[in-house]
Amino acid sequence: MTETLLKVEGLKTYFYTEAGIVKAVDGVSFDVRKGETLGLVGESGSGKTVTSLSVLRIVPKPGRIVEGKIELKGENLLAKSEKEMQSIRGREIAMIFQDPSSSLVPVYTVETQLRDVLSAHEKISKDDAHKKILDLMNLVGIPEAEIRMREFPHQFSGGMKQRVAIARALALEPELLFADEPTTALDVTIQAQVLDLLEDLKKKMGMSLVMITHDMGIIAKMTSRVVVMYAGNVAEIAKTDDLYYRPRHPYTALLLAAVPRLDRKKTLSIIPGNIPNLIEPPSGCRFHPRCEFATKKCEEAPPVLEEVEPDHFVACYEWKNITLKGETGKND
Amino acid sequence: MRRLLYMIPVAIGISIIAFLTMYAAGDPIALIKAGKPNINEATLSGLRTYYGLDKPIPLQYVNWLMNILQLNFGKSLYGGLPVNQIIGPRIWPTIELQIVSLLIAFAVSIPIAVQSARKPYSKQDVAVTSFSLFGVSMPTFWFGLILIIVFSFTLGWFPSAGSQGVAGFVWWGNSFFDQIAHLILPVAVLVYVSLAQNIRLIRANMLEVLRSDYILAARASGLSERKVVYSYALRNAITPAITFLGIALGGMIAGAPMTEYVFSWPGLGRQYVTSTLNLDFPTIMGITMIITVMTLIANLIMDVLYVYIDPRVRIR
Amino acid sequence: MNLENEKPNGGGKRRSASQWAVAWRRFRRNKAGVAGLVIVLAVVFIGIFGDFIAPYPAYPANGAFGPFYKGDVRTAPNSHYLMGTDVLGTDVFSDILHGTKFALYVGVVVTIITMAIAILVGAVAGYFGSWVDNVLMRITEVFLVFPSLLFILIFVRVFTLGGGAGSSFNFLGISVPFGLTIVVVVLAIFNWPGDARMIRGEFLRVRELEFVEAEKALGAGNRRIIFRHILPNILSSIIVVASLTIAYAILLEAGVSFLGFGDVSTMTWGQILENNFSDMRIVWWAEVFPGLAILITVFGFNLLGDGLSDALNPRLRD
Repeated sequence: MTETLLKVEGLKTYFYTEAGIVKAVDGVSFDVRKGETLGLVGESGSGKTVTSLSVLRIVPKPGRIVEGKIELKGENLLAKSEKEMQSIRGREIAMIFQDPSSSLVPVYTVETQLRDVLSAHEKISKDDAHKKILDLMNLVGIPEAEIRMREFPHQFSGGMKQRVAIARALALEPELLFADEPTTALDVTIQAQVLDLLEDLKKKMGMSLVMITHDMGIIAKMTSRVVVMYAGNVAEIAKTDDLYYRPRHPYTALLLAAVPRLDRKKTLSIIPGNIPNLIEPPSGCRFHPRCEFATKKCEEAPPVLEEVEPDHFVACYEWKNITLKGETGKND
Repeated sequence: MRRLLYMIPVAIGISIIAFLTMYAAGDPIALIKAGKPNINEATLSGLRTYYGLDKPIPLQYVNWLMNILQLNFGKSLYGGLPVNQIIGPRIWPTIELQIVSLLIAFAVSIPIAVQSARKPYSKQDVAVTSFSLFGVSMPTFWFGLILIIVFSFTLGWFPSAGSQGVAGFVWWGNSFFDQIAHLILPVAVLVYVSLAQNIRLIRANMLEVLRSDYILAARASGLSERKVVYSYALRNAITPAITFLGIALGGMIAGAPMTEYVFSWPGLGRQYVTSTLNLDFPTIMGITMIITVMTLIANLIMDVLYVYIDPRVRIR
Repeated sequence: MNLENEKPNGGGKRRSASQWAVAWRRFRRNKAGVAGLVIVLAVVFIGIFGDFIAPYPAYPANGAFGPFYKGDVRTAPNSHYLMGTDVLGTDVFSDILHGTKFALYVGVVVTIITMAIAILVGAVAGYFGSWVDNVLMRITEVFLVFPSLLFILIFVRVFTLGGGAGSSFNFLGISVPFGLTIVVVVLAIFNWPGDARMIRGEFLRVRELEFVEAEKALGAGNRRIIFRHILPNILSSIIVVASLTIAYAILLEAGVSFLGFGDVSTMTWGQILENNFSDMRIVWWAEVFPGLAILITVFGFNLLGDGLSDALNPRLRD
């Protein structure tokens, strides 16, 4: 078994709003292994982004990490000082955001922004920084880098902006990269290019990648393992293949059925109901109001993750009693 | 420059409105008569010919405008002094007072607003926001009166009027310090008032910017808190404030009458009050046009600054 | 920010009664806003009953001292005259109470006229867009860079020339001072552009909402859409701006009066300040207390406006 890079245990991140406490992440546990691509999947509002912000400890106010353990290579990040965290952010763990138009500062040139990241972590002369930025921009496939680095973000197209954002995230060759829906804001034609680039760079640099997405297609294409989140909880963790062909959580099965496929003439199913209110979440298993298999027990206490086969965890009381339909073909 | 071209019609528009104001009031000579009932008829008709008031209105306007473009505002109806001589020496005191106040207010408001925005709804923030709401609720001139009563009359620390010592009396025994002593109270008034506005504006912008993705992304890249707040957030929060600053500066210049009147400051504002009470139209029009031009220049400077600060305007 | 706790936006047709109830509950929790409301209610109370509460009658217009006045000029505050007497020998405390109704008159009427012009201009510009919008917005821009205080002063000075001071007219059985009304109208004429821009922005926002599109598709007329559908939706913004405009108008009138351009025979708070300005070294109390009255009143309306803004437009807050 490969080495564990990041270990998250019982993470709880709450937002203390005027309307009440929003339990955006409520007891999430998973790990990221060295060199793997892990998918973090769920509907919007399931706590995927907040989980990644929590790992970097940059949860915006009024949010706060309430409880849990976050270990990077065995070191507890929650015990680090703010200063120590600053040197970890960008250098050991980096992040790419969803919308490149809003994640780059509009008033500085690309070169300035990249240089700021470099010099935040090491003493570097202007010339050296310039060379390094040039290399980075070539690496992420921005043509005419020498000219373009002197331009401002608004002069770049969406896809090119996301490449700049990737260059910024990779500037210090982090070991772990969170990519938060990195292609959602892009044109469909550009999406594949950016995903290929990420895949390629990940292999070159030997880092671990956490793909945050709600797109099961991206999960299938990119990841080797998947964490399924629902309403601030982890529903299921499995190898991507296992998850696709043998989902154990009713929610996962519904997610899979909601993906359109050309080779399947079946009507596309929708998941009934809405994502629950996270201020007063449903009792017990948070999915029970939308679950067709829900029993009395599901309403009473939240289920814990249990290992149903090697490397396959599910948080459901009924997993033994139900048969779920995965992808067609190899279903057992 | 597009903006410069746009100012020309504004200036012309204001000049027409200014000119027509006189006529909205009726015959200026009749107004003088109303103001000074025992003036004799011969003097009045003399004045009428002298000021060209017997010619058709559009022609009068063109004549007046031509004269203004040559910086000739005519002669005051009171004392007969050329308006230039009345206005000239009062321009600098007004500018001096406004610029000093504006710079101090801006310099002081930035750190306060930033600290306040970083911890919204904290005790310190609530104190700052109430203080600034208090500031915008206070009549400017009344704050001046209070300062005079406390620091001038009661404590005797600062002079209450004018821009320099009179009749051989020099405050703090040195003419430079004397000038500063005279500046302190009026500047304090203007600073407090615009401080409140600035803080409210910059704080609101900072709150908005601090919530943006690029701030989160900058933090995620390991930039120091100092760099994130002062270099990334502030730069973005100040940009919209710059345009407002142009309007604020215009407002301050145009609002000069209040402060200058309270502190008997020998500037354009105080002169404007006197001339308007006297219905001395050539002087009124002269000051109006000068202040309009100053306001427009202030706006222009802010626009240039804006273009310099925000690359999105510079390059498209 | 893509915080994952966004609540679905109501997008409903009009603020229903329950939405107002929610806003009221939110407002009640805002201490500053409630304090503002209390101040405003107190000011309104004094505005209505001030003439009866005041220990001394208003300064007699003909200059003759009434039976209550002993001609005590420039008396420092004492038990008879809570806030002293001014250079004319009137009781400052009574003057402030009598002046409250004028402050409210100025604030409310300036705001009504301002909002009427602003809503008209903002609605037309925001609803019809294109060149209409362009022309109207250029005009408001000219007004905004305008040194408006200068023009207010000259307009007031010129229009109050033909008498006016001292006379009054009857409106619904209430005697309204004529000179002060001129000041009020002039203030409103120069005050609408900023509000018009705000209302235009709101119109632009609401115009794009689906239900307006639907109404259009159903063939509703422009007037019906503007008055029946858009205005009710931006009512909350109008209320907030109106509250702040009242505050601003009271401040501005005080300034105009203080500079000596007000209605000399109407004892507004600004007028009291003006009357005693040249003697302020002695009668400081006649400068301090009326100013405090202005400050508290304006502060009250500003607090109320901010509180309403927080309660009615919660999207501005966390």
